[in-house]
Amino acid sequence: MEYAYVNARIKAMKSRLLDRSLLEQLINKPDIDTLITELEKTTYREELEKAGVLYSGINRIEVAIRKDLVKTFRTILNLIRGGDSERYVTIILNRWDVQNIKTILRGKKIQENPSEILECLIPAGELDEAALTELVKQPDVKAVIDLLATWGVVYARPLTANFKEFADSGDMLVLEYALDTFYYQDAMSKLKGGESDDARILKSILVTEIDINNIKTVLRAIRDRIDTEEAKRYFVQGSPDFDAAKLLSIMKSGTIEGALKLLERTPYQFISKIPPEYIAAEKISAFEKELERYLVKKSVALFLGDPLSIAIPIAYIWAKYTEVTNIRVIARCKLTEVPEKELREALISV
Amino acid sequence: MVDFGIPIGAGIAFGLGALGTGIAQSRIGAAGAGTIAEKPEMFGLMIILVAIPETLVILGFVVASMIMIMLV
Repeated sequence: MEYAYVNARIKAMKSRLLDRSLLEQLINKPDIDTLITELEKTTYREELEKAGVLYSGINRIEVAIRKDLVKTFRTILNLIRGGDSERYVTIILNRWDVQNIKTILRGKKIQENPSEILECLIPAGELDEAALTELVKQPDVKAVIDLLATWGVVYARPLTANFKEFADSGDMLVLEYALDTFYYQDAMSKLKGGESDDARILKSILVTEIDINNIKTVLRAIRDRIDTEEAKRYFVQGSPDFDAAKLLSIMKSGTIEGALKLLERTPYQFISKIPPEYIAAEKISAFEKELERYLVKKSVALFLGDPLSIAIPIAYIWAKYTEVTNIRVIARCKLTEVPEKELREALISV
Repeated sequence: MVDFGIPIGAGIAFGLGALGTGIAQSRIGAAGAGTIAEKPEMFGLMIILVAIPETLVILGFVVASMIMIMLV
């Protein structure tokens, strides 16, 4: 793969991402309409104009930024066509397939309106908007899985295998865990044997994601006093540093403080710096947010890595995703008149 | 007896310089094309950046000339 052309283009695209001062301007806007006016001065203008025909207010922003994100990811995929690099970028983009399937399954379980489910989806992966629209039209969870199987989508395999357990228990976690495990194992198997720098870069990001998922599971299990054997079922394999034995030893500490102490000599020691009131209240969402921030920061920091490697496309995908998430947060906070301090806390700064 | 060593030396000095320039320009040219595709306003700067490796071949030419002039 000739990265010189692709990565130069991506770096030029990076220069058009919203910088800190522009985000500040968005934060300082008093309402949704002025926010849209400000966004129209950015690269979102085209999509905002298109979305303006059918939508208004926050829906206009949501639709526009979603379309822009999808368009950007498709551009990157088209630039990188052919060879291992396409496979690697597809692995990253498949995260959104997993996320979309999970959202559809959750929506179907609570019998949510299809249009409401569709609004929450980001068709950035291999399942495009048409496929997702067809999936949300299905009457229930079983029908969604059957349709995925009919299309030959690989994610139907873990869902079909675990459907009986889900049907018996009604616990969506069973299907979600099966999907996550399949995604990470499939991604790791695609990277197996690849000793290139690209494979190593992607593997380090995937391992961080697996670690973060497992640490979240451990913290939730400690808070909810879940039995270690039960929690063990939900650990995703694939991380060399945080294998099941190490995760179990963290779980056996029995308290959040104990778990944080055991995490002190790991790259995740930063979560022990969370204010003590959150630790005392066992507010897991605060830890989850910090862990997600770490993943985003680590991924975006790849911009400083080898300029002629997969690092640049991966970093850009994460940077763009972060930007879209931040705009979404600002728009939602403006709509619900959330105080500026809380808004700033909710943003991901990279 | 004709001494081929001097022209061969001059040829190597010029040829390797040209090869180096070619390798450098291919990379910079590709990156430049990528940059201009996204930011056409960078065209002028890219022309300069693509031209910079030319110094290698010019140096090679100077060395080759010196070999030919001073040693022949």
